[in-house]
Amino acid sequence: MTAWFAWIACLAAPPLAIIGASHTRLHVERLRAVAVASAATTLLVSAVVALAPGQAGFAIPWPGHPGAILGDSVLRLDALSSLIVPLPAGLWLLTVAVTPRARLDRAGIRRTAAATLTTTSCFLTTSPLLLVALWTLSVWAFVAALSAPPNRHARNVTLCYLGASTASFAAGVTMMTMWPAGSSVERAGVWLVLAAALLRKGIFPFHAWIPETFDRGRIGPAVLFSAPQVGAYVTAVLVVPRASPEALRLGAILALVTAVYGAALATFQRDARRACGYLFVSQSALVMTGLESTNRLAVAGSLVLWISSAVAFTGISRCVLVLEARRGRLDLSRYHGGFAQTPLLATSFLVLALACTGFPGTLGFVGQELLVEGAVQIFPVVGLLVVLAGAFTGLAALRMYFSLFCGKRVDAIHLRLLPREVVCFVTASVLLIAVGLAPAPIVAAELAAGDGILRARARAPHGSPRDGGGGPRSFAPAQDP
Amino acid sequence: MSDEVEILHASLLVMLLAPPLSLVAMAVPSLLRRPLPEAAISRITRASSTTGFLAAATGLVTHVASGEGPLVVSFGTWFSAGEAGFSFDFLLDPLSLGFALLSTGLCGVVAAFSSRYLHREPGFTRYFVLFAMFVWGISLVSVAGSVEVLFAGWELLGLSSALLVAFFQDRPAPVANALRVFAVYRISDAAMLVAAVLLHHFAGSGSLAMLFSGAPDTSMLSTSEAVLIASLIIAAVAGKSALLPLSGWLPRAMEGPTPSSAVFYGALSIHAGCFLLLRAEPLLAQSVLAQCLAGAAGATTAIYATLVARVQTDVKSALTYAALTQVGIIVTEIACGLTTLAFVHIVGHASYRLLQFLSAPNILHDLHDLEGKLGPADATPEPQARTSVGPARRAIYLAALERGFLDVTIDRVVVGPLARLVHLLDRFDRLLCGGAPARHGRDDR
Repeated sequence: MTAWFAWIACLAAPPLAIIGASHTRLHVERLRAVAVASAATTLLVSAVVALAPGQAGFAIPWPGHPGAILGDSVLRLDALSSLIVPLPAGLWLLTVAVTPRARLDRAGIRRTAAATLTTTSCFLTTSPLLLVALWTLSVWAFVAALSAPPNRHARNVTLCYLGASTASFAAGVTMMTMWPAGSSVERAGVWLVLAAALLRKGIFPFHAWIPETFDRGRIGPAVLFSAPQVGAYVTAVLVVPRASPEALRLGAILALVTAVYGAALATFQRDARRACGYLFVSQSALVMTGLESTNRLAVAGSLVLWISSAVAFTGISRCVLVLEARRGRLDLSRYHGGFAQTPLLATSFLVLALACTGFPGTLGFVGQELLVEGAVQIFPVVGLLVVLAGAFTGLAALRMYFSLFCGKRVDAIHLRLLPREVVCFVTASVLLIAVGLAPAPIVAAELAAGDGILRARARAPHGSPRDGGGGPRSFAPAQDP
Repeated sequence: MSDEVEILHASLLVMLLAPPLSLVAMAVPSLLRRPLPEAAISRITRASSTTGFLAAATGLVTHVASGEGPLVVSFGTWFSAGEAGFSFDFLLDPLSLGFALLSTGLCGVVAAFSSRYLHREPGFTRYFVLFAMFVWGISLVSVAGSVEVLFAGWELLGLSSALLVAFFQDRPAPVANALRVFAVYRISDAAMLVAAVLLHHFAGSGSLAMLFSGAPDTSMLSTSEAVLIASLIIAAVAGKSALLPLSGWLPRAMEGPTPSSAVFYGALSIHAGCFLLLRAEPLLAQSVLAQCLAGAAGATTAIYATLVARVQTDVKSALTYAALTQVGIIVTEIACGLTTLAFVHIVGHASYRLLQFLSAPNILHDLHDLEGKLGPADATPEPQARTSVGPARRAIYLAALERGFLDVTIDRVVVGPLARLVHLLDRFDRLLCGGAPARHGRDDR
């Protein structure tokens, strides 16, 4: 137990150190260097925690007899969380290492550390109360990042949507935990939590804030807030185990529609940032589709896609940001050139984009293949929309690639990458290809995590008075075999 | 394991590993800003092509000499998830090894030609990297034994094709045309993926050997399921082999360098669809409806292409439509069950058309050379100009000149309404966010 406490402390210490260091007079470039080292350390520690034998099932219980709202444990590491815990640290590393110098500020670095800490904490707990607190904290930090005058409109829009999602989540959790299982109030609570997750993940018809945030807000905070997909985690932990089949069916169909909708709109966008936003909407919806279809293959596929799309999408956004820093706002109706100057960036962009489209040999292919197989078993016709979404995503990705890297060579603009940028883009691309070529271990781990989610659902009554027992619910997550 | 099987395993492995190894060997130094010299790239490509060709030849000879039936070689499971397994299976029979031999042989010819043709071209390395990707893709398609392997090869073909169409990426036209080509390929890929998923769903297996065996007792599909999967395969073939109504992309694909046009649209890529249909012929044979569908697609494409080919004014377009005519005929042959004839037709046509494409840039030079040696050709009397042309003849001529109005029709019927719908939805999304105006006005299509 002591060793585990030490590991958890190691996980929390680097982001906390950066938050502290950001208040000192350390030069901002030096602060960035420290932040990169901290992010790498956090990633390493989280990978060790995730891969350590016997980690699944580790939990720190609440003292005494906690109520349902507190859940069983303060902190818990199960098959699902051990897979996704390295994700926030990885995205933090990509973000701080690739942020252009002109956009680097002390507060921004502090916010990235805070966001990483919040998201990592989220993934390490199943306590409803803690999840509400961490959800609120992450929303507050994200909205605060949009406080500059040029981002005001995006901030207001985001505040409306995410304020509603936070209120819905808090109310839903209260109703779920304070009323007996199977009661109408409890079922309404589950619906509210589902609505909160749909809002946060930008599922149709609650999707409009995401492209707006990418377009008029700030890409860095938007990616760090959205890409780890806390909404998907909440769905897996709180919604799937107890939502009625109708609720999950509705959520899955909405997510399928969103996947096609987002990809189609990304294909026709003229602005690179907005296209990124819609691409994210589509990818995020695919993850939700799998989780809510409650099919073993689809859940495993969506968990693979969760990791793949987070890495690929963050990489794509960082590519766009790197190009924007050198060329200004990117209009996709023009050809910007630059392949000859930055073949590495162009190739990385192509690999990351292909991973999003589910190209064979990348991790995205594995996720999409499993997702389509599973979705078709549950929704024989509608499930094929995943293929349509993939077709549109491929088209959108290649169009972005052509626009950003083809065209007349512009020698006046310095496009060469810095070494830290090279390392980040190459690592992300190689990772997606390497794991995509040998996906057996990750698929096995995702299957185990998916089985945990489905076992929790099998154990729980699905919001129906006739199959539900009385009394407040316990939020004990599934035990891994 | 017998000696023959071991030789077949080794040949297959060598044939499939040569292209990716050459791809990595050429791409990595280039990405690290230490590109290899042209001579080294040529040597690597030539070595890879020769190795692949020899491996395919060894495999074919060994298989024929062993006198055994189709052999399924498995290199293990790629990944498995419960009941769904995705495996590296390869199907070796005279058909697959014959097509592999044809592919590697023609690719070797094109590789040798390209290293001279593209001498000092700025994208020399990029061309050969994409060419290696294509060789890898066509090799996988040739010997695929499971739908996953087939799909992987199919996607590699599509991507390398689109990126080579956009080879002259400084100019906007090739890039725009490459996107158009890729859009059609996505339709083809989507049809292929749906076929693969439904195959898993209905048959519980992605094995092409079992699916295409044709034996009624081993057939795992009902007639309606077979028709559905066959129709999807025909749709995938239509995209890749430019059958009607998806023929409009073919002349656009001519924007790439001549050697890539030759190997893609004269020789191999355009026949990849025919080869897939040839493999799926036992599945087609289960349903008259599917056969009629394939036959109709082939016959109409052949008629359309031969009419269009006759009015083209540039040699590459004329050759492309001439190739499409033959592809249409090959598809019709397969639909009629004439599989041996279709395979011989593929081999002969691919080789002949490749030669025509590769010699197309020299055609004027060759004619002048011929005239210099033999003297000017006999002056044959010009046919008398027709003073009146019938309305039907004029309509056919105009339609052929406009390539059947395919692109215009697809733009009007599919792309235009879709773009309008998307713009409407985009405006709606902006309205939901407080009606913020678009930064750039109307989005492009």
